[in-house]
Amino acid sequence: MAYRDLREFLDLLESENQLVRIKEEVMPEPDLSAIGRSAPDMENAPAVLVEKIKGYKTPVVLNVHGSWQNHALMLNMPKDTPVKDQFFELEKIWDRYPIKPVWVDKKDAPVKEVVIEDDINLFDVLPLFRINEFDAGFYLSKALIVSKDPNKPDSYEEQNAGTYRIQVKGKDKVGIQPLPFHDIAVHLKHAEEKNEPLPIAICLGNDPVLSFMASTPIEYAQSEYDFAGALKGEPIELTKSENGNLDIPSRSEIVLEGYIMPREREIEGPFGEFPGSYSGARLQPIVKITKITHRQNPIFENLYLGMPWTEIDYLMALNTSLPLYKQLKRDFPEVKAVNAMYTHGIGTIVSTKSRFGGYGKAVAMRLLSTPHGMPYTKIVIIVDEFVDPFNLEQVMWALTTRVRPDKDVFKVPYAPGMPLDPSSEPAGMHTKLIIDATTPVAPDFARDTELLAVPEKAEEWSKTLRDLVKKGGNK
Amino acid sequence: MKCPRCESEKVNLLTKAPVDDAWEVYICETCTLSWRNTEGPNITDPEKYDKRFKLNPAEFKELDQIPPIPELKK
Repeated sequence: MAYRDLREFLDLLESENQLVRIKEEVMPEPDLSAIGRSAPDMENAPAVLVEKIKGYKTPVVLNVHGSWQNHALMLNMPKDTPVKDQFFELEKIWDRYPIKPVWVDKKDAPVKEVVIEDDINLFDVLPLFRINEFDAGFYLSKALIVSKDPNKPDSYEEQNAGTYRIQVKGKDKVGIQPLPFHDIAVHLKHAEEKNEPLPIAICLGNDPVLSFMASTPIEYAQSEYDFAGALKGEPIELTKSENGNLDIPSRSEIVLEGYIMPREREIEGPFGEFPGSYSGARLQPIVKITKITHRQNPIFENLYLGMPWTEIDYLMALNTSLPLYKQLKRDFPEVKAVNAMYTHGIGTIVSTKSRFGGYGKAVAMRLLSTPHGMPYTKIVIIVDEFVDPFNLEQVMWALTTRVRPDKDVFKVPYAPGMPLDPSSEPAGMHTKLIIDATTPVAPDFARDTELLAVPEKAEEWSKTLRDLVKKGGNK
Repeated sequence: MKCPRCESEKVNLLTKAPVDDAWEVYICETCTLSWRNTEGPNITDPEKYDKRFKLNPAEFKELDQIPPIPELKK
């Protein structure tokens, strides 16, 4: 693999013109938020390394995952790889699971170069900043958080590495959001039943593949590290945390170790979330930070999220689509691809060949009974196997030329929904909309239509033209 | 000093900038809002803080717990 950690990936991005540096000093507010907002709005959006922030010692990098170019480079593909091709590459390397990690001694782990135990002050190490105007404070939005089931302290597989939002609430105190349907909530429940603290490690500045897996909805007893190894084709390097016997990436930039205080809740939020609106204040657990370890000259990685599309939408795009695809494919082998990248799968487009009349509708109903599709997906569009679901121009073609609104559009009222969807009413319930935009097959029927074919030799010529453009036009 | 969001007077200095005394961060012990003194009056001034985001501490105990605290097991 072309990189082993965040800083090597940043070097790769820079060599591919996918990273820019801000050398002038900037203010934490409002500059960092504005940079994080602006970057993903650009064509071929780069990551942005901000070298000097007023009052702080550490640089920050934003928008590492925030473009298809950066996403392709993460997968070791050319940066102009189309999204659909990235999807199929991911499908291929996904099947290499599991590739087990290797453990390195603490003394050889870069993340242990500096250890801070006394007078902890998060602001000394992290250039913290407000992400959106009415956020309750300074947030860590892109951390990989490790925890173990206290009832099975030796279970590596049931260890979890996930991303949960973190609000800084003191020099050595943060708040965390463990949503009940996420894995860390299972660990916390077992700790709180015994009134015991739950050790966690908040790992910042990781190999981009680790950030990718930390936000992927895999199964409870599957290991994010084994998947990250599969995506890389080689093992991830882990080491042991200072406390709590957790397995943490040995090449993270910064790790905050601590524990969730049992049976305590405190006000957290609001915080601007991925649907483009604020999620309200709730009573949530508190984390005491007991140790910080970091590399020499660490880099703080964070992300901006807000009105889509932002970095998080690129990060959650294919890692949401792929598990849905795998689950559909098992029962409906005609399914060709799944695009669940709009608002974390609230809108999903499936391309499939139709085995018999009405098949598209059956595929939609299966999608709505998968673990992620059941609560999240509100609008389903089914298109033919030759339509690229990642190409919205083609999807609009299918909607305009294939949908008979009297036969192909239906609703499932008052079904499971996603509370962060601001249209769900009450929060957590919504009505499903299904649009079957496939071409009717027997026993269904339609007026005779003949599709236009692609001219002979078109593929050859399109390659020639692409190569010419790459060379600068043959002047 | 009052908290811009819930107007509690239990406000503490959380930290000073690690470099150059460039700014200070304050935190409200009642609603946990934190802010930097270099941020705009839309954030730092209780009069200018957006009314839609003001909080009333009397209502905190009615907020949802995420996740709920389970029963103790012997």
